[in-house]
Amino acid sequence: MKKNDSNELIIANRKIAFQHQEKENRAAELIIANKELVFQNEEKENRAAELVIANKELIFQNEEKENRAAELIIANKELAFQNEEKENRAAELIIANKELAFQNEEKENRAAELIIANKELAFQNEEKEKRAEELIIANRELKNAEDDIRKLNDELEQKVVERTAQLESVNKELESFSYSVSHDLRAPIRAINGYTRILVEDYADKFDTDGVKILQSIINNSKKMGELIDDLLAFSKLGRKQVTVSEIDMTDLLDRVQEELSFEDYENIPEFNIGTLPNAIGDKSLIKQVWINLISNAVKYSKHKIKTSIEIGAYKKDNLVVYYIKDGGAGFDMQYYDKLFGVFQRLHSQEEFEGTGIGLAIVQKIVHRHNGTVWAESELNEGSCFYFSLLSVNH
Amino acid sequence: MNYHNVEILFVEDSTDDAALTIRALKKSGFTNKLHHVINGAEALDFIYCKGTYASRSDKEFPKLILLDLKMPKVSGVQVLEKIKSDPNLKSIPVVMLTSSNEGPDIEKCFELGANSYIVKPVDSDKFFNAVKEIGLYWMILSQSPH
Repeated sequence: MKKNDSNELIIANRKIAFQHQEKENRAAELIIANKELVFQNEEKENRAAELVIANKELIFQNEEKENRAAELIIANKELAFQNEEKENRAAELIIANKELAFQNEEKENRAAELIIANKELAFQNEEKEKRAEELIIANRELKNAEDDIRKLNDELEQKVVERTAQLESVNKELESFSYSVSHDLRAPIRAINGYTRILVEDYADKFDTDGVKILQSIINNSKKMGELIDDLLAFSKLGRKQVTVSEIDMTDLLDRVQEELSFEDYENIPEFNIGTLPNAIGDKSLIKQVWINLISNAVKYSKHKIKTSIEIGAYKKDNLVVYYIKDGGAGFDMQYYDKLFGVFQRLHSQEEFEGTGIGLAIVQKIVHRHNGTVWAESELNEGSCFYFSLLSVNH
Repeated sequence: MNYHNVEILFVEDSTDDAALTIRALKKSGFTNKLHHVINGAEALDFIYCKGTYASRSDKEFPKLILLDLKMPKVSGVQVLEKIKSDPNLKSIPVVMLTSSNEGPDIEKCFELGANSYIVKPVDSDKFFNAVKEIGLYWMILSQSPH
């Protein structure tokens, strides 16, 4: 055991020497390290000063950053708000997008429809073009037809001109015919009548009673023939006379007709009962003739009655005025009504009631030339009522 | 023939109308102063003292001319026109006589200055009366400047 101890001691010594060495090394190192430390201290102080400066800088920076942070917070809030807005906006956009998508779909549908419609239009267009072609053809045909019509019209006009000329010449012929009828026929009848009267007046003693009677008959018949010719001429003249219409004061016209009436000895002076007479449109002188003829008839056909009463009145019907004249005279049988207005037609004998039978024919012609109507009602021996219509003033 | 003191110049081509008219005038007392010519040409000869009437004094004018309208050669209208356009003659009353009122001449006659226009009635009563009245009116009642 002791050897070990020495060994151990040597070793320990050695160790301690080593350790000593080491410690010296160490101290040297420490000095160096100290020096180093001083240097480092210095450095650290420099460094601290720098740090202070840096710190100040940092503080400043910190402050800056705080400000910046505050600003950032505000900016952040702003951003948050903007974000929210954007979200809202996004939501809206989503909706809008959906809407657009829907609209798009609609538009697509629509486009599809339009394509169909377009096709349809194209088809129709084609049809129309066909139609237009047809129309052009039809138009051409129409034009041809129009040309034909114009040509026909021209021909017709030419014919009308020719016919008018013919009618005019016929009318002239008729005029010269009536002139010669009135002139050339009246002259010999006037001679017959006049010479016979000379016989009666200057040579009556040369004839017996029968002879004088015969002479009287010649006078009467030639006179009658003169009247017939005059009536016929008056009637034919009426057809050629221009009808000039204006408003007729009918009450005034009737007054004047009454004033101008003259009566034969055997005729009763009539009692007139005249109602309200509205005015009408007509040719005054012609309508006056109508009244004269109708009143003269009423007087004539009442001559066998004790007295003559004539009722005159009027009523309005649509755009017409219907005038009537009623008497209590001889009347006529309605079964011969169709002869009533005929030229030279008579429903009574010459012995009963004189006349040529022109009066009512003239009445009818005048009323017809006014586009009016004339008609009558009668009962034999009870009297007659004649009506005629004219255009009323306020039609 | 004596053409002096002719008061009525009667121009009428119809023998019958002339006979009847003259008789009517005779009955009314105008016949001795009447001269009858049978056409318009003769009427103008009488008025202007020519031909047969060359010996007639052109200082004497009839008081009245009765003038038929429808005559051959020179018509009544032509005679009328001549008379009424002559300053020496135009104051002589001219009464147109005609057989009808159908002619286109009535207006023309009055335009030319006819003083009256008579349609000869067929009825001799009326005819004689008309002639008598014409004579009475124009020969007695009416005053002329001559």
